[in-house]
This record gives sequence, structure tokens and C-alpha cells, in this order.
Amino acid sequence: MCCHAIIETQVANITDCVLVEHSPIGCSARLPRINITYNQTLARRGKEPQTIRVLSTNLQENDMVFGATAKLEKTVREAYERYSPKAIFVSLACTTAIIGEDIISAANELQDELGIPVIPLECEGFKSKHWSTGFDIAQHAVLRSIVRKKPKKRQDDLINIFALYGSDYFTPLLKPLGLRVNYIIDGADYEEIAQASEAVATTTFCHTLGSYFAAALEEHFGVPQIHSPMPYGFKGTDAWLREIAKVTGKDDIIEDYIKSEHERVLPRINELREQLKGLKGYVATGSAYAHAVIEVIRELGIQVDGSLVFHHDPVYDSGDPKENSLKHLTVTYGDIPDYTVSKTQQFQLFGLLKRVDLDFIIIRHNAIAPVSIRMGIPSLPMGDEHMAVGYDGMIRVGEALLEILSRRKFAKTLKEHVKLPYTEWWLSQDDPFIIAKHPEIIEEAPDRFVKKIKKRSVK
Amino acid sequence: MAEKKKKATSITHARYGCAIGAVNTVNAIRRAIPIANCGPGCDDKQFITLSFSNGFQGADYAGGGAVPSSNTGENEIVFGGVKKLETTIRSAFKIMDGDLYVVLTGCAPSLIGDDVEAVVRKFQKEGYPIVHADAAGFRGNNLFGHESVVKAIIEQYVGDVKTEKTKGLINLWADVPYFDTNWKGNYSELKRILEGAGFRVNVLFGIESEGVKSWKKIPKAQFNLVVSPWVGVSIAELLEEKYDQPFLHIPVVPVGEKETTAFIRKVVGFAGIDNKKAEKFIKKESEQYYYYYEHISEFISEYWFGLPARFLIAADAQTTLGISKFLTDQIGLIPAKVIISDNTPLKYQDAIAEEFRNISDDTSIDVKFIEDGYTIEKEFDEADYGYGKPLFLATSWDQDVARKHNGLFVPIGTPNNFEVVLNRTYIGYRGAITLLEKIYSEVVR
Repeated sequence: MCCHAIIETQVANITDCVLVEHSPIGCSARLPRINITYNQTLARRGKEPQTIRVLSTNLQENDMVFGATAKLEKTVREAYERYSPKAIFVSLACTTAIIGEDIISAANELQDELGIPVIPLECEGFKSKHWSTGFDIAQHAVLRSIVRKKPKKRQDDLINIFALYGSDYFTPLLKPLGLRVNYIIDGADYEEIAQASEAVATTTFCHTLGSYFAAALEEHFGVPQIHSPMPYGFKGTDAWLREIAKVTGKDDIIEDYIKSEHERVLPRINELREQLKGLKGYVATGSAYAHAVIEVIRELGIQVDGSLVFHHDPVYDSGDPKENSLKHLTVTYGDIPDYTVSKTQQFQLFGLLKRVDLDFIIIRHNAIAPVSIRMGIPSLPMGDEHMAVGYDGMIRVGEALLEILSRRKFAKTLKEHVKLPYTEWWLSQDDPFIIAKHPEIIEEAPDRFVKKIKKRSVK
Repeated sequence: MAEKKKKATSITHARYGCAIGAVNTVNAIRRAIPIANCGPGCDDKQFITLSFSNGFQGADYAGGGAVPSSNTGENEIVFGGVKKLETTIRSAFKIMDGDLYVVLTGCAPSLIGDDVEAVVRKFQKEGYPIVHADAAGFRGNNLFGHESVVKAIIEQYVGDVKTEKTKGLINLWADVPYFDTNWKGNYSELKRILEGAGFRVNVLFGIESEGVKSWKKIPKAQFNLVVSPWVGVSIAELLEEKYDQPFLHIPVVPVGEKETTAFIRKVVGFAGIDNKKAEKFIKKESEQYYYYYEHISEFISEYWFGLPARFLIAADAQTTLGISKFLTDQIGLIPAKVIISDNTPLKYQDAIAEEFRNISDDTSIDVKFIEDGYTIEKEFDEADYGYGKPLFLATSWDQDVARKHNGLFVPIGTPNNFEVVLNRTYIGYRGAITLLEKIYSEVVR
């Protein structure tokens, strides 16, 4: 995955804006899947379904040689005429970055001509070694161009939730405090994003994702960010709610609310703890979110000996140590013995998974579970990332895991009938990162082809 | 030409991926290992359009997330990516358990001018089974990439071979793997039919193939059979030149008894083999076919609640032609809009348009070649709908317009977010029956 794919998941999911991709057609090939998540988001938020609106300039070899700014301008005008959007985003890609397309000047001119924001995104795939850079680029663009610079009024009951596609579990959690949620960016419209600077606070389901937006709103508009652990498990949710209460002036009711919530969910959680006893799980997602999910499954009494996170962010954009999610996890719930920071490399995943004992794996990104299921391990793909949020999140995750475990039958049968695409030599390695440590091992590994050649020459 | 210029050059709701999507062509060759020489998101994106959001087909062996990649980054763009590619290839030989390695070079390394050929040639000289193919997205879509990969394997791996031809052995060039949602089932049905008619069939992709063994067998075949309006024709031309191997080009993929029977007779006639076995097979298959045909006639003749009369179709050339022919010529549905969206090269368009003009005795279709989804959906929107419920045979992008016109919807093109497809075919004798089930199930759903 590249950061260009990520900006698609963000700015192409604003209901009354349009994205123009300045690239060959292949750069748009993730959109059919993004359209699924987009429509699911709209349904979850009670909005009308709408097919994603993204235009590609569809560049050819000639454009690489002679430049393609004219095509970009034409396509932006087409986008404007077809959809009358509130804003048009323009994305750069590897090709257009290499040939030096000046999308910033083009966007500025088109903005003057069309009278709506035309917002350039320098998100070419090779720009970053990590796709998550795309989140920062999208958030930066939205903050600069859509969020109201001069807030009309302070909306004291409005709380920004920096989210992705998740179900609306924040409303039942925050309504008792008299708060309305404002989900940003996915599924929002222009106005919902614009009013972010008028909110009483900003929070998120994942610090990795939301901290840039939240820190900027705090710094530039005085909209406080909720500096606390994230709302997962009892401890995290308690702390998060207390911080929100403090910021929104609900100190007087918060302790009663927390107490009654504990009492409400505890009986079912205790039942689930009994049902899930003795199980071992593994979590492979982005860093802060992995920490959160581990907290939830450890609350359920599940043993977690290993985790794979795609990046490590000890400090988030605000710099506040209260958001140190790894510390919150290890201090509250204990250490994770086999903790790995790595991108999703399938050839390494086999080695990672074989060194821990596990009954299931929790994932969000594609290309991980296909390995685990071939190893006989079922997966819970947490497509609804809000599933684990809050007190009820523990119940939802517990119930889902009971169902997923039943899939062990499928996984076990599969394992007996497939071969992984790796050589015996590689499968026998104990350390999945051996090549980084000892690059020479590649030379020393058995060569299946050169041997054949020697045999032939002996003949 | 004047009209060509007026066309939108932009694309909304794309119906194909780019050339690097041919990673999935390699993936479809058993135990072949693709090496994606491109940026970090390229191959992942193509997998979405060609496999995930295309019937959720999954991946063979070293496909999907298992594909090794040079992962071209900023460093390589500035200083060149040849070294990293070399390391990637060397590691792939040791880590990935395969029989053939195919390097596909995408946009970024092509633009910065990496000499991929020199890297791969070195490995070839050392005896490694490896080839390289041009798969830059700005050169063409995944169909271009598919042909590029196939030709690269023929030129660089199968190589210059002089061999006896085996009478009755056919190399089969039909569907583009993964791009055609039904490719697995289609190859199986074509193979079944040709074997039933007395041939031996060399399938190059999927479970009906023996992987690299089948590729090495290519020069031995009596002839190449291209079952597609244009994809594969240039491959057959290359093989003709290279191995002095004739080819038979059948543009209309056979759907239903009439077309399939004609198909078999054409191939048998071309091959000059004895037709006894073929005729016996035709008789048996026709009997079965019309057994089901008779059963659906009850429904078609007396169902009270409305059947589709007109159809609107948009997909790749092969699917659009095959299914349009069946529906107009055999079932008697009325074509309301027929669109080919696969960026068919200009030089093939006239011949294809001619096939559509003569699609049935009493019906002529004016086919349109349009790649932009927005324009396709607009064409659909402005079609003549008549009285009954329209039938849309299209992609998941077209659901909105189908819904607007209260239409029935059967996905037949890329992308397809609405079905999980494993082993299915709409072609041949058996596939046509499945297609009828599918269409008329939509009526009663």
C-alpha cells in the first residue's frame, strides 16, 4: 500500500467533494474497494448511499514526454461541471511527481477560475516508506482548505471524532454527557468538516490516525484535544471519559455515569471471560490501534503473547505523554513478549506467527490473514474499527471472537491442503528478520537453479 | 478521428487496471513467481481491481500479498533502482519456491530509465529461469500488460525451439486471468469442449494447466486457438512467426448450443482431424442443453410478473461480444445499449464492430467503445427503455443507473463487488445454462 492509496480513503470519502487523480489509470485501481467501505460508512451514519466520485486524468506515454497539465485542467473542469462539488482535491502520483507536474500552480489557478477550493495533495507513492503518511497529507489539506479559519460560533455540545469508517458507537457513549459527535473525515460533508474549528473538543479511536488533526485544531483554534489513553477496556475508557468530562464541564455527572456503565456491562463481560478462558490471540494492525485491541482482549482474559504493529510512534503530534498508548498498555496490562514493529511482509509473517502459540489473529489490513489462515489460524478482520470502542466494545469483541473461533475448522482443513510459496530453506529459518541482520545468508542459501546448471555441464 | 478527439480523456469508475496488473497473469501460471518492479502501492491496487473487487477470487500461491517487489522509493528514483532490483531478484530465487520468475517493470523504474533488461539478462546467463516484461502503467492497461508478459515468457523462457508438431494439440488463448471474473470456469469449459471434440488442449493458466511444463510445450502444438475478439491475437502472430505455428482466431466466445456447436466444427475443420468424435460429442451435449432449455421455457412463456425484454451491456470486448451474441441470436433479448470498455486498440475496432452489426439475422448492433465510466453510465441513462424491465449486464459501477431505471442487474464485468466467484462459467454448453439461471433468478428475486 502507498500513501496515495490512503489519501483516496480519506478525501474521496467526503460526500460533496471530488478527487481528481493526476496519474495513469492504475493508480485508481483501489477505488472499487474504497467504494465498498465508503457506502458502508454512509449506511452506518444514516446517510444516503452514493457511488464514489473520483476522476483520473488517465495519463499515457505521450503525457510522460510532453507533460499533462492541460489534461489536469480539463479534468478538474469536467469534475466541476459534472458534480458541482464544494471542493476538488488534486492528487500527485509517482509518474507526475517524477516528470515534475506543477499541481500547486494549476490548483491555484483553477481555484480562482472556479471559485471553490481546489486542493493539491503531494502524495506520490514513493514519497514515504509508509502509507500512513497519506493520513497526514489528507488531514493537512483538509485543515488548511476546508476547516473554517474564523469560527462562526463555539458549539459547546459538538465533539469532533477523527474516525475512519466505523459504526456510530460514539453517540451512545457520549450522548449521556450531552455531546453530539462530528465524524471526520470519512462520510462527512464539507460543512461537517468546516465546523470542526467550532467544536468543544477533538478525540479519536486511534492516536496514530487522529493526532495530527487534533493537535492542529488545538494549536490554531483552541479546540482542546482529549489528552488521555484511548477509549478501550475499563481503564482506558474511564480515563478518556473523565478527560472529556473535564474539558466539557461535566465533572459533576461523570463518576456516576462510569459507575453505572461498569455495573451494566460487567455481568456479560464476566460470562465472556469464562467462555474465552485459555485462549491465545495475536494482533497485527497499526500501532496505537493494536495497543487498544490488545487491551480489550486482555480485559476478556485472553492471553496475548505477540503482536505485529506497522510503525512505532512513541510520541504523537501533541507531544503529550498521556497519549503514549504503548506505555498505557504495558503499564496497565503487562508486557507483550513477542512484540514486532514491521510492515506487512508476507514472507516474514510466517516466521513471526510460528514462534507464538495462538488460536486467532486480529487484523485490519489486507495481505496478513491470507498467511495465517493457510497456517490454520482463523482471523477476525476488524473492518468496523469502532467495534472495540468503549465498555460495550469489550462485549462486541468477545461475542465476535466466539464466532470466529468456530472458523478454526475451515483453517485447519485448509492448512492440510495448501503449500506456502516459500522454499524449505526459508520456512526453516527461526528469525524472520535474519536477512536484515545477515544479508550474506542469501548467498549461502541453497541455490536450486545453479545446481541444475552444473549437473547439465557434467553430462 | 474528429469524433475521437471529442471524447473525454479522463476516466471515472475505471473498468480495468494498469499494465502492472499483469502480475496476476503470472500468478495464474502455476508455481510462477511475479516480481513487481514498481512503487509501493502499484501491485496492491491492481490486485483490488482484478481479484478482490472482481468476484473476490483470491490468489494463487505467490499472488496477492505474497508478490515480491522491489518497492521503488525516493532513494531509487534519485539514484537508480537497479541495485535494489538485483537484490530483490536474488532473494526471490532463494526464498520463493517457484519454477519461473517474471519481473514486471512499472512506471517509476521505466521513467528513470533503469536498465532492467541488463539485470535480468545476467541472471538468465547464469541459468536462472527468469524473464522481464514491460508493464508501465502509462503504456497501457492490464490487457496490454497481459500480452506483454505472455510474449516475454515466450521470447525469453520458451525460447527458440525447433520441434515436431503434435496433431490435435492446441494452445488455448482465451480469457485474461483474473481480469475476466469467470476465467477459471471458462478455461475449464473450453478445455472440456475441445477435449470432447477429440483434441488435446494445452491450457497455460490456472488449475487446468501444468505450469511451466505447459509453456515449454507451446511449440509442439499443431496450432494456436485464440478465442477472443482481440486479446491474444498478437500473441498468436508472434507464435506463428517464431514456431511456424498457424493460428485460428475465433472472435466470438461461444455461449449456448448454436454458437458452441459452430465453434467446435470450425476448430475441427481448421485442424483437419476426423469429425466423428466431435459430432458424437455435439449430439450428446446438445441433448443435455435442450433438456434444460425446455425446462426454462415454462417460465419464459407463462411467468406473470414481467420478464426483461431489453438488455444493456458494458464490459470487455470478449464478454460483451459473446454474451450479446447469445442473448440476441438465441434468447431474443433486444439490445438497448452495447458498450465495450476495455480500450480495444483502434486497429481491431472495425472488425469487432462488424461482428456486432451482423450479430443475428434480424438484429444489428451499433457497438460503442467507451472507457470512461461516467460516459458509459450516461449512455445507459439515456437509452431507450421501452415497456418492460431492462436487464443490465455490467460492472458494480453501474448499479446506480440500473437502480434508477428499476433494472435487473447481472454483474459480468470488472469490477465486480457483488459476487464471490470461484468456478463459474457463462460460456459453452453448460455456461449458457448457468447464465440463464442467473438472469432469470434476478427476475424472481
